[in-house]
Amino acid sequence: MALQSIDAAAGPRRRGLGLTSQGIITAVILLVCGFLVLYPLFFLFAESLNVGDPQVFPPQRVGIGNYVDMLFDWRIIGNTLKVALFSTGIAVTIGFVLAWVLTRTDIPGRAVLERLMEVPFYVTPLVGALSWSILAAPQSGFLNQAWAYFGGSNRIIDVYTPMGVAWVMALFEGSVAFVMISAAMKSMDPALEEGARVMGASKLRTMITVTLPLVAPGVLGAAIFVFAEMLGSFAAALVLGIPGHFYVITTAIWELTLSYPPDYGRASALGISLFLIMFATLAFYRWLVRKGAYSTISGKAFRPRRMQMGRWTWVLAGFCWLYVFVAVVMPLGALVLTSFQRFATVLMHQAQFTTQNYWTAFSLASVRDAIVNSLMLGFGTATIGVFVMVLLVWIIYRSRMPGAGIVEYMVMFPQAVPRMVFGLAILWAWLNMPVSLYGSLWLLGIGYFTVLLPLGVRTLAGVVLQVDKSLEECARVCGASWTHQLRTITLPLLKPGILAAWLLLFIASVRELGVSIYLMGPNSKVIAPAIVSSWSSAGTELTAAMAVIQTLTIFIAVMLMFWVTARLSKQGNES
Amino acid sequence: MKQAERISTVTTATEMPTAPAPARPPHIVVSDLIIKYGAYTAVHGVSFDIPKGEHLTLLGPSGCGKTTTLRSIAGLEQPFSGEILIDGQPVYSSSRRINVQTEKRGVSMVFQSYAIWPHMTVFENVAYGLRVRKIPAEAIRAAVEKSLDLVQMRRYADRPASQLSGGQQQRVALARAIAFEPSVVLFDEPLSNLDAKLRGEMRVELKDLQRTLGISSVYVTHDQEEAFAISDRVVIMNEGRIEQIGGPLDIYDRPRNSFVADFVGSANLVDGRVEEAASASGLITFRTQSGLAIKAFSPRPVRGDETQVAIRTAYIGLGATATSHANRIEGLVARRMFHGDFVQYLIDWPAGQLVVRRPPAELIEEGQTITIAFDAEHCVLLEASKKGSKGGENR
Repeated sequence: MALQSIDAAAGPRRRGLGLTSQGIITAVILLVCGFLVLYPLFFLFAESLNVGDPQVFPPQRVGIGNYVDMLFDWRIIGNTLKVALFSTGIAVTIGFVLAWVLTRTDIPGRAVLERLMEVPFYVTPLVGALSWSILAAPQSGFLNQAWAYFGGSNRIIDVYTPMGVAWVMALFEGSVAFVMISAAMKSMDPALEEGARVMGASKLRTMITVTLPLVAPGVLGAAIFVFAEMLGSFAAALVLGIPGHFYVITTAIWELTLSYPPDYGRASALGISLFLIMFATLAFYRWLVRKGAYSTISGKAFRPRRMQMGRWTWVLAGFCWLYVFVAVVMPLGALVLTSFQRFATVLMHQAQFTTQNYWTAFSLASVRDAIVNSLMLGFGTATIGVFVMVLLVWIIYRSRMPGAGIVEYMVMFPQAVPRMVFGLAILWAWLNMPVSLYGSLWLLGIGYFTVLLPLGVRTLAGVVLQVDKSLEECARVCGASWTHQLRTITLPLLKPGILAAWLLLFIASVRELGVSIYLMGPNSKVIAPAIVSSWSSAGTELTAAMAVIQTLTIFIAVMLMFWVTARLSKQGNES
Repeated sequence: MKQAERISTVTTATEMPTAPAPARPPHIVVSDLIIKYGAYTAVHGVSFDIPKGEHLTLLGPSGCGKTTTLRSIAGLEQPFSGEILIDGQPVYSSSRRINVQTEKRGVSMVFQSYAIWPHMTVFENVAYGLRVRKIPAEAIRAAVEKSLDLVQMRRYADRPASQLSGGQQQRVALARAIAFEPSVVLFDEPLSNLDAKLRGEMRVELKDLQRTLGISSVYVTHDQEEAFAISDRVVIMNEGRIEQIGGPLDIYDRPRNSFVADFVGSANLVDGRVEEAASASGLITFRTQSGLAIKAFSPRPVRGDETQVAIRTAYIGLGATATSHANRIEGLVARRMFHGDFVQYLIDWPAGQLVVRRPPAELIEEGQTITIAFDAEHCVLLEASKKGSKGGENR
């Protein structure tokens, strides 16, 4: 009988502790990722010590001159801290109020609002900054136009100011703060509050003595994280700061590398310093999380008890809708309106509507190429990225390989490096490589993959860890090899999650600015930097059309992602 | 009487735990297995073996290293040192630097979580191990149907596995584990996620299945009833070490030390010392701390440092059932607790307080003075515990 042969085939065969397919694949992936993440930073650091001709590598003279020069940039460092603190304050306030209203009160339309809260995140700070400059530029801004039309004197608002930069950053980082704080609020056991009520405390007293102290660590964590993000943020300062000659560290680095001759040494020193500040901030954040200050976050989601707000309901709902209006409706409305006009104006009797901007966008070779390239890169990065990142996640969280913790640190490392600093580092590293990739889409792809590692690995880890380990072990016990197990069990189980992660990586690639702006060459244009250069050289109307195209692409991907994740959770409920 | 036979098997089993019945060659041999997680040692040099066709159970409290031991037999855990042989072939050996991959070991396993693949149908789940072995499709169909029949799940063959109830998943997991006719099946607490009634039924089915298939199996559980009901031999583990190996009855009747006496069943542990260790029959006299002399039994040669005897709560007669002549003592019924299947009495006797469990048919009132009686064979001398006396209090 056929089954007789089974035992023979499955009989113990000796295999040393040495090379297996798993071992080889693991080693290769680790080497490649380690190279991609650490090599550019090494170059950036080396260049920051270059006090000779900044164009020559390796440095002819080494010194700390570039760091000493930063003393002259104290205003810029001060600006950066000021804007970051200010915008963090606004973003966390917005995030806290929104999170509290949407998780703990019974205002109507919560589900819709919660979805809408994510929109600013996908709009991207670049598009946000463009839209707000259309809205609130000192002369031509729609708000000022309208103000003048209705008889107001002077201008009512000017977004080309430090406050304007901070405002736009806060508006679009507010949704990150919201997500983090509402996670903290959702994971608080409502019994803790109910306990206080049973003991006789009023609603207000419960709020002050129980809810706030429990949520405080979560809010603090969100504030620190957002602050680190603000330090490295680039787009808003680029679009809104530079016209008013207001510089933060990221835009100063940009100017230094753009000037002629480019001063890569000083730019690198600034970049390394910014990286160190951001790294320290994030390390502090991690330490806080580790220390268990997050005891309210148990990893378990509770169904929060919702409070009835009575007359306050409409005030709170109004606040949420106001945020949606200011961060989504108004900017996107202005953007779309502009993109269909010959000259941007909010005064309808003066408006000349046209679709010419879109025709121009698609017929102008450079713009068309940028769109096509971005889509191609998005597909490529997401596809290869997801594949490699799944393996990485498996290696880090499942293989029990010695040193998996170090690999995790390495992979998460780009998170602590400001995007555009990493872009500079990659540029500098690859300019000095024997293989010439500069100016090709390949380099952009490599850059995207590297900086998106943390995002992809974190997302996929959530997916992979949901799959019970014994499902995989069982396959091995049944006689499947590691590769067979990956193919028949692991990957099929992960399919929906992988699809969602693919879309997320695609979105992140299409909206990428910091790395693209450095790695883009004349024949490898991509959309986000193309928008920036169109903004400074061509008209507002064409730029708006390009921004609408980018945003629309992202929104389609987001819709697909929501659909996939909805199906995913439905499937999860069935099993 | 039966008693005598029982005692003789006990002595061989407990004294030489790794010696199997000579007729059956060992199928799996585990020797000096040490498993470490970093600085923490989960298993401290465990050795046992399983003759062909035997059902061995690793029993112990959670964290005792039983699952870790099982997983290292399957190759899912890499031990620190030691050796594991299957069919005489080393699948793991630290000295010879051998570590055979899980899939080459030819063992099968049923997981605690069942590990039913939700993206496949029942049929596909069961067929997996056969398909890996590149069996012709016809033979696969036949083998899958055969094993689904064995667990009475054939009519669910085309169901998506995600739509099964817990008990059905359990059956599919079982069918999948036996479909490719492995000679060894490992069970990792397979019944612990089922409700009590279903667990009872599955125990019976498992036992039948083991008989039908003639496989060797290693079973891990923390449930002593389950261990006793389905296994030929039981290995009691605690803190990464083996406390005792033997048949279920041996272990129940002749616990080797206070841990086994306490963990398995319920027993009274009485402190004292050996007064007279005379005959070859193992009968001794034990003097309790309170000065009471008890006729007791030692399954091993007395060493002299023993300080405890164990008396099973179910082996003590009260009043009308106090028929034994070896030990007869007066006591006072201090408390009576009705548990349903048995009644538990707390009895004040000269050596402190004694727990006795009797069937509910013979109720005795609280406050009554009554005769307590038990056989010398049921009062077992325990080995002195190495790490301080933990079970010192009188139960």
